Amino acid sequence: MSKNAGWATKGRQASPAAAPPTAASKALRLAADWGPTVARVMLGLVLAWFGYHELTAPRLWTGYVPGVSPASTFAILLVLAHGWVLLMLAVAIIAGIAPRLAAAVAALLLLQIVITLTITGGLTDLTLRDIGVLGLAICLTGNARQRAALTR
Amino acid sequence: MRIAGETIGARGTAVLAVTAVVAIALGAHGWSGRNSGLPPNGLSGTGLSGTRPAASPSPSTPASQGPTAAPSRPPAQGPTAPPTPGPKLSSQSYASYAFLVWPGTPSASAKAAEIGLIISVRRQGTGLSVSAGVAGQSAPTAKYYPTGARVYVIEASLGDDSGNSDYNLGDDGLVVTDAQGRILQ
Repeated sequence: MSKNAGWATKGRQASPAAAPPTAASKALRLAADWGPTVARVMLGLVLAWFGYHELTAPRLWTGYVPGVSPASTFAILLVLAHGWVLLMLAVAIIAGIAPRLAAAVAALLLLQIVITLTITGGLTDLTLRDIGVLGLAICLTGNARQRAALTR
Repeated sequence: MRIAGETIGARGTAVLAVTAVVAIALGAHGWSGRNSGLPPNGLSGTGLSGTRPAASPSPSTPASQGPTAAPSRPPAQGPTAPPTPGPKLSSQSYASYAFLVWPGTPSASAKAAEIGLIISVRRQGTGLSVSAGVAGQSAPTAKYYPTGARVYVIEASLGDDSGNSDYNLGDDGLVVTDAQGRILQ
């Protein structure tokens, strides 16, 4: 863990006995070290974008609420609650605040979305796109090494 | 604080607390504007949800052939009382989401916005008969508008359309304006 502002930098350390790294191996090491962080930020941006828009324009999203009339007040409240959760998860994932837990919760939310979309519309390009995001969340849930994580 | 094996420190807690407050403020803003942003005859008011497969427009009444109708309006009985002009479409927040359907040939964006909907415009007497509804649902009703009316389909997000389906009808709507761009109520 680094000493600067509680940002953890647990990562693979270079072996002093290893041969001089090539550019390719450096790139691979860089990807291995920072890939999960980049994935965290990108997943967080997706969640933040949807969370922000669900909070600021809930009426546009009520059509996605299963089993509830899109015109109902209840549907708007559900969208607002969903947007609030998404924004919280987004900040937690991007900042690295309990990132694996946040990613796990995000994976559950995305799983619900994928199942709902599949039931209502079948396997379409939109559903498969969400499956990809779900996979990203699952991957982050299983990733123990996190750089730039706010642990304090 | 440890939750499920992960530590949340004081700084993390503070960040989450600030986020929670900001999110609540955004939600309050969204709640206060929940009745704005789409035309009153938005298709979300039909009580429909989920994906609606798009049916092909009626061969006899393509959008490029005639007038418009709001799905929630009563059926048109012919040229009765003319609709009242309201505010200009260009002054509405959803103006940037409006795609012209009539007159002329709908653009590619307009056609994409029509996915999941059935919009029919046809000449009727000296005016237009317009109808709009959700594909796969009961036949849409029609309404009469005077000559010169312009028909727009509203689609806030084209990203919720997939193939021939519209996943979210909550951001769809139909607007008819007069020749001056004023929304006909």
